[in-house]
Amino acid sequence: MTTAAPPVITRAQPRRARPVSSRSPLRRGDTGPAWLFLGPFGVFYLAFLIGPTIFMIVASFFNTSLVHTGLGSFAGVANYAEMLTRSDFWSSLWHTLQFTIYTTPPLVILAFVFAVLTNRVHRGQWFFRLAFFLPYVLPSATISLIWVFVFTPSTGLWALVESWFGITPGNGVLAGPNTAMIGIAIATVWWTLGFNFVLYLAGLQEIPRELYEAAAVDGASNWAQIRYITLPLLTRTTTLVILLQIIASLKIFDQVYLMTSGGPGISTQVSLQLITGTAFTDDRVGAASAASVLLFIVIVAVAVVRQLLDRSAARREA
Amino acid sequence: MATRTGLTRRGFLTAGLAGLTLPVLAACSSPVGAGLAGSQLNPKTLVFWNLFGGGDGSRMQAMEAGYRKTNGGASSLQATTFAWGNPYYSKVTLATVGHKPPDVAISHLTRAKPLWDGGILDPITDDDLASVGLQASDFNSAPWKAQRTDGHNIAIPLDTHPIVMFYNVAVLTKAGLIGANGQIVDLDSMDRFESALAEISKVTKGPAITSANVAGETATPWRVFWTLYNQHSAATPFLSDNGAKLTVDWDIWNDVTSRLQRWVKQGWLNSGLDYATAQSYMFTGKAGMYLEGEWELTTGQLVKGLDFDMAPIPTLYDRAAYQADSHTFVLPKKDRTPEQRTQAMGFIKSMLEQSMTWAEGGHIPAYLPIAESAAYAKLVPQAHYASTAQHAVYDDPAWYGGSGSTFEGIVGAQLGLVQQGVSTPQQARASVEDQLKIYLDTPSPL
Amino acid sequence: MSTTTTDPTNTLRTGGTSYVSAAAPAPTAARIGTSNRTFQIVSAIVLIVFAIIWLIPSLFALKTSLTSNGTAAIGAASILKDWNPTLHSYASFFQAGDIWNWYIASGITSVVTALLTVLFGSMAAFALSRLRFRGRNATYLLIILGIMIPTQVLIVPIFQELNAVSLLNTYWSVIFPQVPAVIAVFIFKQFFDGIPVDLEEAARIDGASRWRVYWNVIMPLSRPVLAAVTILTFVGVWNNLLLPLFVLSNPNLMTIPVGLATVQSSFGQRYADIQSGAILAALPLVILYLIFQRQIVEGVTGSGLKG
Repeated sequence: MTTAAPPVITRAQPRRARPVSSRSPLRRGDTGPAWLFLGPFGVFYLAFLIGPTIFMIVASFFNTSLVHTGLGSFAGVANYAEMLTRSDFWSSLWHTLQFTIYTTPPLVILAFVFAVLTNRVHRGQWFFRLAFFLPYVLPSATISLIWVFVFTPSTGLWALVESWFGITPGNGVLAGPNTAMIGIAIATVWWTLGFNFVLYLAGLQEIPRELYEAAAVDGASNWAQIRYITLPLLTRTTTLVILLQIIASLKIFDQVYLMTSGGPGISTQVSLQLITGTAFTDDRVGAASAASVLLFIVIVAVAVVRQLLDRSAARREA
Repeated sequence: MATRTGLTRRGFLTAGLAGLTLPVLAACSSPVGAGLAGSQLNPKTLVFWNLFGGGDGSRMQAMEAGYRKTNGGASSLQATTFAWGNPYYSKVTLATVGHKPPDVAISHLTRAKPLWDGGILDPITDDDLASVGLQASDFNSAPWKAQRTDGHNIAIPLDTHPIVMFYNVAVLTKAGLIGANGQIVDLDSMDRFESALAEISKVTKGPAITSANVAGETATPWRVFWTLYNQHSAATPFLSDNGAKLTVDWDIWNDVTSRLQRWVKQGWLNSGLDYATAQSYMFTGKAGMYLEGEWELTTGQLVKGLDFDMAPIPTLYDRAAYQADSHTFVLPKKDRTPEQRTQAMGFIKSMLEQSMTWAEGGHIPAYLPIAESAAYAKLVPQAHYASTAQHAVYDDPAWYGGSGSTFEGIVGAQLGLVQQGVSTPQQARASVEDQLKIYLDTPSPL
Repeated sequence: MSTTTTDPTNTLRTGGTSYVSAAAPAPTAARIGTSNRTFQIVSAIVLIVFAIIWLIPSLFALKTSLTSNGTAAIGAASILKDWNPTLHSYASFFQAGDIWNWYIASGITSVVTALLTVLFGSMAAFALSRLRFRGRNATYLLIILGIMIPTQVLIVPIFQELNAVSLLNTYWSVIFPQVPAVIAVFIFKQFFDGIPVDLEEAARIDGASRWRVYWNVIMPLSRPVLAAVTILTFVGVWNNLLLPLFVLSNPNLMTIPVGLATVQSSFGQRYADIQSGAILAALPLVILYLIFQRQIVEGVTGSGLKG
């Protein structure tokens, strides 16, 4: 095998690369083997994702109950009508979007900054990797317990820091209808930043140092190097991180459930909480299924819009 | 391949083989074998599910050990704890619907009713009771009456767990509120209670009484409200017709909630504290009194050097009333032989007979031979609030009601906001009506 | 990002995605030697400040776990002031004895799920990336849509399926539903798409079968992504709460998060116990991370092309 030096360049301009598979050497008579390769995954996928999803879609048109087998009586579109006219359905959807808006930028930007800086310091990289990545392996129950504790009104760690800055600690971040979601967002950024950090770090380490050296010879400052080399070369990483980040944020559940249960009032109730509450606390699987389908549609729509924006941005650049 | 960063393929394979063979090798020994191959439970083993963690969990385990000792050893009982609140009931439901229920399960009394409505429970007949020498008169009448549904016994109460008032003896002594018997003086009237609050606030230079209401805490505001609401003799049920009608008396709602807001404005009651902080205020003397279920007794006893006591919440209005629920034993629906029925009842009887152990955690035993025993009367501070069981007020039956239910969540959250001063009683009412509307209009899925 | 730890069918925390960036492995530039001193110092200071901020919550949890329950009940201040560390909370876990069973259950389910996910997911991704067949795009789209399904409600039909095939109360009931991690296929496909086809040409000339191309060419080049997906799946399965809670009833088979819930009370607050439980739950993952941290980071960039 020979050393493949050039691919970095290909990667830098990914849009112009032809899809690899179109020139795949394994072209003829692939259909049979392809299904063999897909088979094992496909069986599990059908059994535990597609099958149940079909059940969910069907159930959304019935008064399906957790306590009875079978679908129950036919409901038509009543479940959908109910959800679409429920104010708490819309408010939970709004809170979900709110959470997405709060967490996505810091999770992408901070991860990028930390990775760029870590990549540039000569010593102690292992320490920064440890510090930033460690929370990522903690269970959601752990992070929730830790942060509820940190946000304890008036005596918690957060209140202590507030008082250092001359702010009188109030009722606590999680107690305020306007601040509770910020508290959840802070905990989430702390928890999950590590993974994006590692991804960026990996991406960075692939940028050949020759590029920086050449730039340095040309007298480019550190900032200019980051602006004109690092940032563009990580564009595609960033695009994907953002997309998946958004999808994951729209599916937020654990932290809210464990930290505020949706409170104060319903000021932090998110969509999946409404769904699980309807399904498991109220036993109304049918109505919960309808809400799930609606949330699914929203997520797909957001992803499609995001892709379209991205594509048009790429076209403008080209 | 020069460098070996990452998992090598061989390493991956080895790990894979190890991962797959290791369990097989270990399969001979349980529980790994059971995990891989499934396990056939000894048909004689009684399966019991409960939701007790923490201190309650250890006491329940001690009682389970007691049962095993007299009933044929370790294999006589398989007890499993699932301590995650609402998902526990979903699990019991799914398992029963899937014909894999436990023989006996714990349920809150208020949650047993929706389970019964869903056809998840077997009724407990008088013959069942008689088969192990039990009868209705063996139980405290409040929980016993509360469990009776559609003319059947659906659950056997183990305890009553009301909300009570904890107090810091040192603080109340300074405020002059400790009587000659070493206990809190009689505060059974609004005037007396409010002047006591004022006195305590002078001592603590802060709140007199705390009650948790933020960071997801919706149950406590509900418990406090439901207690004070039902102290009014004109109190109507909050919900009627199994949750189809909203029948709360909004005048009393306004009266109670504005009273609470007044206390907050006076600085007597906290405006926003989470569960742990609310109690630590009382533990550390930053507040004199604290409202919560009696189960926090265990936590209080852990705090070194803390002198605290417990009392019923004073009767501020017309009559004594204490929000409460009960832990009960239920029989999930399943085909049982007469022997299995007797075995399940025998287990319940054994637990009831050991409920002195249970009472140490603060819960008031429902089984009268224990509740009326001399030993229980001597148990302090339990004896100081045991009378509340007689005036226990349970949540109204509703398919979306009961402890930890949607109903409690909706109403409790709004009550929490009222206490915080974020909502007025009127705004909270509007919000409750709006959010409950969908549940009032939806036929029960049970 | 990850919001899906209780998500029964989608075990991978999203974000494990931009392996795309590692798609075309290149010589590693371990550090950049061209930044000036001032920049170095400023970078280091900023990083140290944030690293400390990032560590404080975990350290606080650790401190709490070493305090007595009584002291912890009083509040944060008394925890920080307490200088009588005690292992009491930890001891109570080990005395109860169940924790070893929980570790075994979590270990087995996480390892087996990770292996099956990596194997099946990479096979599927190989087909989608390298093989041409009718319906390929539709299949890929179908799989990608799977990422977007809110999976909470699916636990009801999943429970019924497992019940029908008598797998409830076995490790398989935790493993199987978590195998189809859509995100794994997505990550693998992105990675495979970046591997130059030329390498396979050589193999093809040798008359290698598709399986051998997959196993002898693609897989060796994919070590970094294999490592990453393995670890991520492992973490996801280890931390999953809802699925094991529903499908396991035998106390000996409980996984760590379900088991730990049994020592926490819904009522009485035992903060030291709770935090020590949280730490015990995370400990194996932390150890795994410390062992593999080079592999996780460098593995992502690790080159299979050198030599």
